[in-house]
Amino acid sequence: MVGAMEVYQLLPKTNCKKCGYPTCIAFAVALLNREKKIEDCPPLFEPKYAEKLKKLRELLAPLEKASETGLIIHEEKCFGCGNCVVACPVNVAADPTGCAIGLGPKSDRVILVVEDGVVKCLNAKECRRFGPNRILCNACTATCPSKAIEFV
Amino acid sequence: MIEVKIVTFQDIFQYEAQKKGRYSEEYKKLSARIMLDKEDLEKLGIKDGDRVLVKNVNGSVVVAARISDEEPHPQPHPGLAFMINSLWSNQLVGDQADETSIPEFKNISAEVAPTEEQVTEIRELLERIRA
Amino acid sequence: MLAVCTGCSLLCEDIELALKNGAISQAKNLCRKGYAHFQSLFTERTKPQVDGQKASMDEAIARAAEILRESKRPLLYGWSSSSSEAQREGIDLAKKLGATLDDTSSFSEGLLLERVLTGRLSTCTLDDVRNLADLSLFWGSDPSNSHPRLLSRFAYYPRGEKRQKSYEEERTCVVVDVRKSATAALCQQLIRLPPGGDAEFISTVAAVLEGKIPRSGDKKRMIELGTLLRKTEFGAIFPGAGLVHSLKEKMDLLEGLLEQLNRIAPFRVLPMVGHYNGRGFNQLLLDETGFINRVSFQEGQARHSREFSIMEAARSCDAALVIGSDPLSSLPFGVARALASVPLIAIDPRRSLTTDAAEVTLPSAMYGLEAAGTALRMDGVKIEFQPIVESSLMPDREILKRIGEAV
Repeated sequence: MVGAMEVYQLLPKTNCKKCGYPTCIAFAVALLNREKKIEDCPPLFEPKYAEKLKKLRELLAPLEKASETGLIIHEEKCFGCGNCVVACPVNVAADPTGCAIGLGPKSDRVILVVEDGVVKCLNAKECRRFGPNRILCNACTATCPSKAIEFV
Repeated sequence: MIEVKIVTFQDIFQYEAQKKGRYSEEYKKLSARIMLDKEDLEKLGIKDGDRVLVKNVNGSVVVAARISDEEPHPQPHPGLAFMINSLWSNQLVGDQADETSIPEFKNISAEVAPTEEQVTEIRELLERIRA
Repeated sequence: MLAVCTGCSLLCEDIELALKNGAISQAKNLCRKGYAHFQSLFTERTKPQVDGQKASMDEAIARAAEILRESKRPLLYGWSSSSSEAQREGIDLAKKLGATLDDTSSFSEGLLLERVLTGRLSTCTLDDVRNLADLSLFWGSDPSNSHPRLLSRFAYYPRGEKRQKSYEEERTCVVVDVRKSATAALCQQLIRLPPGGDAEFISTVAAVLEGKIPRSGDKKRMIELGTLLRKTEFGAIFPGAGLVHSLKEKMDLLEGLLEQLNRIAPFRVLPMVGHYNGRGFNQLLLDETGFINRVSFQEGQARHSREFSIMEAARSCDAALVIGSDPLSSLPFGVARALASVPLIAIDPRRSLTTDAAEVTLPSAMYGLEAAGTALRMDGVKIEFQPIVESSLMPDREILKRIGEAV
């Protein structure tokens, strides 16, 4: 998981406020929350910061793929075992005759399914980590044998 | 050179590579490796990825030495090595089985030493079998 | 369309497939292993060949029959990746030829499965595990890599009749192994043993169950295990190759432990079966001859001995028919060499080291994909499968029948 300090180290650290935030550390936090994009910091695109810009893009690349809940799936690590599909409380509630008893999903309202041998995330907004009443549910990450599914 | 006990195991990614192509680089890469404890790699003076000759009374094979990747809390296991059950590991398994006629796949004594040789190719192993 | 996966002995029946232009455009619920198995339908398929030359199926079958007819000590090996119908034909062929017959269980789960099939070790179905088990013990097995959906379909994560709160509150998972496998990373407890240390572990558990303090090992952990076992309402033990190879001729120790455990609560043993219909072959041969593997019909009546195991027979045979297996890859080097030195007939849908070295290669249809059949799941439940694509390839039951007629 990427931390704000790691991001901060790759910023100009001048607190120029061009991004609309008072300090670079505030901008770092905003980048992680995806409230701001790298392009919102014009000084980063000056030649002297080329190396930092490159590293920053690499560091934040996984976030590009993450759903709004912060869920990332590394398909190359996934066993397709279905542990997360059967453990996910949203899946279980939505599909009592399918996922809840270990079978493949029979309902459309599930958020995790196994397709073509690996897990896929649908309906990410239904995830309990999302929205105003969010909780720190970790059923899917805790049941994964290979850390293929994780939260940023 | 160090002495180890090798235990063989199954791996889903190696299975997948085998299904995709038995003569492929990917299959060789995932099969021809020996997982060693960090301490054992240090004793041999090698890095993760360097090649080693694994040898015992039954045969020998050159594979890549990999650092054992037990997660999330690696538990030290010096002297114990792991290899995926494959054509490569089978070079080291004896055919003089005991009274149960079950080969020793899970407690193979062997010597491991660094080498400059390339990882043994599958075609060479097939030639050895057909010789 | 719905399909059954023949990738491992779980025989998952909830596979949803969409086909387009002869290829799989979408597959649901297949684990990584199953998906690779389905995709292998399209690569490295065998073609009929005789002595390295392309041939017709008829020519190849004729030559195979000739080799078998002329041999004095033929060996028929493989079987665990064939349908029950093909296995039936195989046994008939072995009888006709007076051949030696052995399967892949001979060097892995056989010793254990024998005790289960003959009732010496109590077992149950996977559905029983899902509905009743509050303890799943993986002993020398790593289902995450070998039977990926075992935990999510039956052993740990799903809800069941008596286990509605499942893994969160009502199920515990313990792993006993020599390494921290992927499955071990998921379970509450990992008891790590040295290679060959299972016999001692069994004594320690027996002692702890009797209320004695263990004399060696991690005492605290063993006492915790004892407490857990005593509280168990229904235990499911899944031993794998790791346990078989460690105990070998000392398998009675396991029986002893199970007797002790069964005085506390029902404890059932479900051996991990390597290939999708290994149990089917062992059950069929047991019903037919009283033995699960390693038999010879050379003297008419079936005889059972270690000399008929693949390890020994590979050296003593003068011709071998290998069906749905790749012993040149999966067996110790010396055994592979012995097999490669005699005329080999390989029946296989896909190319392997064995088919590449064989005198005769006979391509067969893939079960559950191109041909229908039945198989026994690892817990003995009979599963039927239908083809999902059309194929002109012969299933191996047909090939065996034709060889039998030509011999």
